[in-house]
Amino acid sequence: MVLATVLIDGNNFYASCEAVVDPAVIGRPLVVLSNNDGCIVSRSAEARALGIAMGTPYFKVRAQLERHGVVVRSSNYALYADMSQRLMSTLERWVESLEIYSIDEAFGLLHRPAGGDLSDWGRALRRQVLCHLGLPVAVGIAGTKVLAKIANRAAKVDPARGGVLDLAAVADVEALLETIAIEDVWGIGRRLSRWCRLRGVAHARALRDMPAGELRRQCGVVGLRLQQELQGHACLPLISVAPAKQETCVSRSFSEPVQSLAQLREAIATYLVRAAEKLRQQRQRAGAITVFARTSPFAPASFYSASATVTLPLASNDTAVLLAAALPLAERLFRPHRALAKAGVLLQQLQPDDLLQHHLLVPTTPEQQRRRERLMAVIDGLNRRYGRGAVQWAACGLQPAWAMRRSRLSRAATTCLAQIPRVLAR
Amino acid sequence: MQGAGIGDGDLLVVDCGVEPRPGQVVVARLGDGFTVKRLVRWRGGLALAAAHPAYPLLPLPADGDHQLLGVARCVIRRC
Repeated sequence: MVLATVLIDGNNFYASCEAVVDPAVIGRPLVVLSNNDGCIVSRSAEARALGIAMGTPYFKVRAQLERHGVVVRSSNYALYADMSQRLMSTLERWVESLEIYSIDEAFGLLHRPAGGDLSDWGRALRRQVLCHLGLPVAVGIAGTKVLAKIANRAAKVDPARGGVLDLAAVADVEALLETIAIEDVWGIGRRLSRWCRLRGVAHARALRDMPAGELRRQCGVVGLRLQQELQGHACLPLISVAPAKQETCVSRSFSEPVQSLAQLREAIATYLVRAAEKLRQQRQRAGAITVFARTSPFAPASFYSASATVTLPLASNDTAVLLAAALPLAERLFRPHRALAKAGVLLQQLQPDDLLQHHLLVPTTPEQQRRRERLMAVIDGLNRRYGRGAVQWAACGLQPAWAMRRSRLSRAATTCLAQIPRVLAR
Repeated sequence: MQGAGIGDGDLLVVDCGVEPRPGQVVVARLGDGFTVKRLVRWRGGLALAAAHPAYPLLPLPADGDHQLLGVARCVIRRC
């Protein structure tokens, strides 16, 4: 029995999600901006065709985008996360095990029928995702992760392949591997690819066929593994259970500079409230909190950056406890006349929430503990049901001037009943 | 779509996982808007028909700017 590895990923994922919930943008060039409407992070096929580059700052191309009638959207992470979850749960039914690699990308393992070609299987999978979710995906099938990645790339590059490629059905694999530049081999890294270039190893086929001994001496086991994978021997296992998080971070750039201590406290409280919510979702507690802030790196003469850490006597995921510990740190970060551009909160020393090491000097009864946990669960439940911010912590401020700019946000069409699409029923 | 029991402000449950067939009430994208109509056969092709006879048929040419998105399964009435 032979195992096949498949890599499925969304084409222009964020831009495609926007088109799912707003039919007005189908067929039009569309770009999605990063937080604070900073840079272009996703482009529809039509926007790519206009030559709009990934990562371009929005303000630089604003006039050009307007001239071409490009639709511009702020990133709507609630929408992308929800679509991602739907995508992954659809994929799970198609493979024997699934490794969710990123928001729009997953590896799967499945059995390859003897001498079988999985192209039809891939096309059926692609059709179902398109039909159920409205998202176009590319499917690359091969014997190993590195080869699946290459197949996926080739499936996307050549429109004739219709978004699906099974490497086992390719007549001339050599030629295909020669089209993959050494820098584009998955997991190769800058140092290793530079070394390959210097040695004249310019593409995936050359790396596959170079002497193993030399590769091992120069690049150790990492290089050897890559070569093995290219030869079709799987050495990178599928990781289907995500390891427990070690840290949780929430940080944002401000829409306008923060100049007062009161504003900095509000921002830190806001990020901490979000981080604590994540922590409870992950069923973890934090043992330490780091708070950081900095000015804009584009004004290097007056650059200022600082962080401060507090260790909690008793690990916690209670927002009130975390706020009480972290807010005093704001005073240590704040400097008058330093216009802060960004701040963040990092929760550290995370541990599972079902084990709690009690502290001699922090007396808590199990009953008190349970009541606090119930309170947090109720707050989280209300915010899930009625939208984030339905129940707010006063420390976060009411209408912060520094809040993230998302002037072109699409509707929460898949996560909020009040914002579902409307159809004309005349 | 009063004739099909779908009124203003009602909540429609749409199955996007099946291929719409003639005779079914479908949600379609026409240009840049969504509409709900009955899918019918018409002159060897397909068209969208309103439930009220006063509204004209909307033919769906094969190369037109439209897309069938799903089949309306249930309607939840606003009270």
